[in-house]
Amino acid sequence: MLERRLLSNVPWGMVALIIGIALIGLSAVYSATYTPSGPSSLFTKQVIWVCLGIMVMFAALIPDYHTVGRYAYVVYALSIFFLILVALIGRTGMGAQRWLPLGPFAFQPSELAKLSLVLALARYFAEDPRRGGYELRDLLIPGGMVLVPLVLVMKQPDLGTALMLMFTTTLIVILAGIKFRSVMAVIVLGAVVASAVFLVPPVRHKIWTSLKPYQQKRIKAFINPASDPLGSGYHATQAKIAVGSGQTTGKGFRKGTQSQMAFLPERHTDFIFAVIAEERGFLGASFLIVLYMVLLLVGVDAAKSAKDKMGTLMAGGIVSMLSLYVFINTGMAVGLLPVVGVPLPLVSYGGTSIITTFLAIGLLLNIRSRRFMLFY
Amino acid sequence: MQQDTPADIQNRLPLLAGFIVLFAVVLFFRLWYLQVVKGASYQELAENNRIRPIKLRPPRGIIYDRNGKPMVENVLTFDVSLVPEDATSLEGTITKLSSIVRMKPEAIKQALDDAEDVRGKYEPVKIVEEAPWDEVALVEARQEDLPGVIIEPEHRRHYPYGGMASHQFGYIGKVTQTQKKYEQADTGMLVGQGGLEKTYDKLLRGTAGRRMIQVNASGKKVKDLGIDEPKPGTDIFLTIDLDVQRAAEDALGTRAGAVVAMDPNSGEVLALVSHPTYDPNLFPRGISPRDWVKLSNDPSHPLYNRAVQSVYPPGSTFKIVVSLAGLDSGKIDPKDTVTCTGSLRTGRKVFRCWKKGGHGVVNFHKALVESCDVYFYTMGDRMGFDHVAEYARKLGLGSKTDIVLADEKPGLIPTAAWKRERVREPWYPADNFMNSIGQGFVLVSPIQAAQMIGAVANGGVFYRPQLLRKTRNRETGTEKVYDSVEKRRTVFDAAALAEVRSALLGVTSESGGTAHGAATPLATVAGKTGTAQVIAQKTPGGKLTESTQDHAWFIGYAPADAPKIAVAVVVEHGGHGGAAAAPVAKKVIEEYLRDAGTKTAQ
Repeated sequence: MLERRLLSNVPWGMVALIIGIALIGLSAVYSATYTPSGPSSLFTKQVIWVCLGIMVMFAALIPDYHTVGRYAYVVYALSIFFLILVALIGRTGMGAQRWLPLGPFAFQPSELAKLSLVLALARYFAEDPRRGGYELRDLLIPGGMVLVPLVLVMKQPDLGTALMLMFTTTLIVILAGIKFRSVMAVIVLGAVVASAVFLVPPVRHKIWTSLKPYQQKRIKAFINPASDPLGSGYHATQAKIAVGSGQTTGKGFRKGTQSQMAFLPERHTDFIFAVIAEERGFLGASFLIVLYMVLLLVGVDAAKSAKDKMGTLMAGGIVSMLSLYVFINTGMAVGLLPVVGVPLPLVSYGGTSIITTFLAIGLLLNIRSRRFMLFY
Repeated sequence: MQQDTPADIQNRLPLLAGFIVLFAVVLFFRLWYLQVVKGASYQELAENNRIRPIKLRPPRGIIYDRNGKPMVENVLTFDVSLVPEDATSLEGTITKLSSIVRMKPEAIKQALDDAEDVRGKYEPVKIVEEAPWDEVALVEARQEDLPGVIIEPEHRRHYPYGGMASHQFGYIGKVTQTQKKYEQADTGMLVGQGGLEKTYDKLLRGTAGRRMIQVNASGKKVKDLGIDEPKPGTDIFLTIDLDVQRAAEDALGTRAGAVVAMDPNSGEVLALVSHPTYDPNLFPRGISPRDWVKLSNDPSHPLYNRAVQSVYPPGSTFKIVVSLAGLDSGKIDPKDTVTCTGSLRTGRKVFRCWKKGGHGVVNFHKALVESCDVYFYTMGDRMGFDHVAEYARKLGLGSKTDIVLADEKPGLIPTAAWKRERVREPWYPADNFMNSIGQGFVLVSPIQAAQMIGAVANGGVFYRPQLLRKTRNRETGTEKVYDSVEKRRTVFDAAALAEVRSALLGVTSESGGTAHGAATPLATVAGKTGTAQVIAQKTPGGKLTESTQDHAWFIGYAPADAPKIAVAVVVEHGGHGGAAAAPVAKKVIEEYLRDAGTKTAQ
């Protein structure tokens, strides 16, 4: 009985939208990884990841999301455990220690950390009986909850994920409600810290030298791309050339000269949007943006129609996280934001990212599907 | 459960929706600006002004000897390469290029085809490596006419002394597919494939740089965007003394064999020779299949590093081990005498001394000085070979010395248990006899022999044979000095050691000594000859061909009272140790001691 009602409440339009985006992603990965001797094995892997992801998404529909909420802290603790593990025995790649070897695959705990933090924060605020906005001191516990994974992720170092954790938390806190004067206090505090960093030379120097050389280069190159046309400025410049040269209708599937010629670095992961923009043009790229916008707005609606605080916060948190992913990644590809390693949800190559994104979206569907139910 | 209305939170949701719409709109306009408004100009950038990274390979670290004389260097050469994608008409370019570089057009096409599977797009294909000056100049001059053809400077590895010390250096070659994974190397990179070039590859390799150029549609350079300089590899200084190495190589000459010279007070290897040699200069630009087949099928095995990879029966040099085994444990009294009649009979077998007429009555000193076989048959049999084997292992035989060169062989020190298991036969008294004079099953490598005689010289200290003395970063000048590593210390009875050393000195100085050829006016030399039989039986009256002639050994140190150098020499099929091997050791010792006063390593 219950099952059938649940099934009829599943927003199938939203499911179609999700699978549509994933298919666009697969075609882009196919093109970006194509080798002279045929499709790359990376593409085959990505197909497997997407299929697994879709299964995970439907599996995430089955348990009541309150049950998920009950395990939120356990999942959070588990993800912290994995982050510590990766710091101890993780596999290093591209100058950072991010992966846990898992047989033939590698698991990236920082991806799980993002989702588990959203769930844990949603549960914390949902169970907090306070009304009428939070003072700063009320945010000590959630602050601690974000700080632990933040420090661990910074250590790897993974600036992109660290920023994601910070921004997502900020959005969730705003949703949960914060007093106006607390916001002001944060702004003032931030201004003080920022001016200390930028205006006091010893502090600035200390922070600057604590960054990895490649991070320093990226920041420099964002401020002045011409300063380093070979290094990270190169990434940004090449991405812009790729996007721009796509023009209105694009160069066509597998015809993107920039991406096919390997000028574009990280083209199947962080810069996949530039590949799409080059090959599908303005029409294709903005169509994808519209798809994302609709998906995210349906997500906001799911939060709005949720029957309780837990559902609203969980859905709101997931939508916040996904929006940040989408906009930071695309913003970077079109040169609006500095180059940080953040995947494009459902599209970028990467097993852990694909699976956790589908899991997050499955929870969103879960909340949406149970909007008419009563809980006792 | 409390069913609180989430209304206040839901009231803030439009904020999130607004954020989403706002960013989507911003993105939309940005895309419109980049792709529609500026699209044409970006199109032009993509099509006509391509940025091309050109890989700049770093020069490998230079290898110096202990006194800072270069032993392995780099020379700057120029390669003529072709980027097929940049050739407006590939056929035309190939035709023009073939006339300049004097190659058939088919050969150039073949080179392009061979590279097709492994190279990335716009990666140049090498057509002529180390092109002669006139060809380079012609290509440069006719650049306009040859779209797609470029000149690539390369630092090529050069071994100025050819085959000298080649076994230490090993060689370098293109990285293989399996190596690529583990060595973090990219296609076409030259990495160490053997010897020190391999052991210290990570140090010597350096970091690649790149030059960015902008090229137009026909592949012509329009603009230099900048250069990311390659970082040269770290220079390394060996413990080898170039002059001593050369003296050893010259003394060995064309004969096959090995020489190892070490400083007994530190384990620093002063010279390490293996003959025949090969010319490592054949490898850096890819050895031709013909040369490779020739080298690897050569019956004299020039690629083999005999100093560490070959093991020989030690012959009479092994009598040092038997002597220490007897004197240190008290099982032999130096005053004990044996009467040598030229042979010893046991059961039905007769064991001969090398001196047909016999040595007469010999005590320990005379027996070692004159290398009396009958004395050592008797003593070896009295102690039992398992006892001798224990001392052999104490002296570092039967196990690797852990020198950094690859594929070191541990040699063999047999015991009764070993023979039961491996040969499936019991240990006979004959085995005591034969192994006690270094025949039978015993096998020793030249590096082990040098380490052993060094320990006799220094009183029982075993160092890990050291080849790397220090490294120097070429850019910063920072040096890192590597100290010698003491592996262990074995305490021998002082009187026993003194007795053995005095006999070893007698070998080169007393009448009846077997190695007068090692004596030098520069210093007292202590040592022991060995003549290891290659086949057990000679056909009576048959003339010995070279391949059945005995291996000649000499191991020793000098000066006898304050040792500065320990040497081990093997001359394959050289005949008698005293005649063939001892003079080689003399040359090495003289070269080192001649300069020892003036030339102290920094």
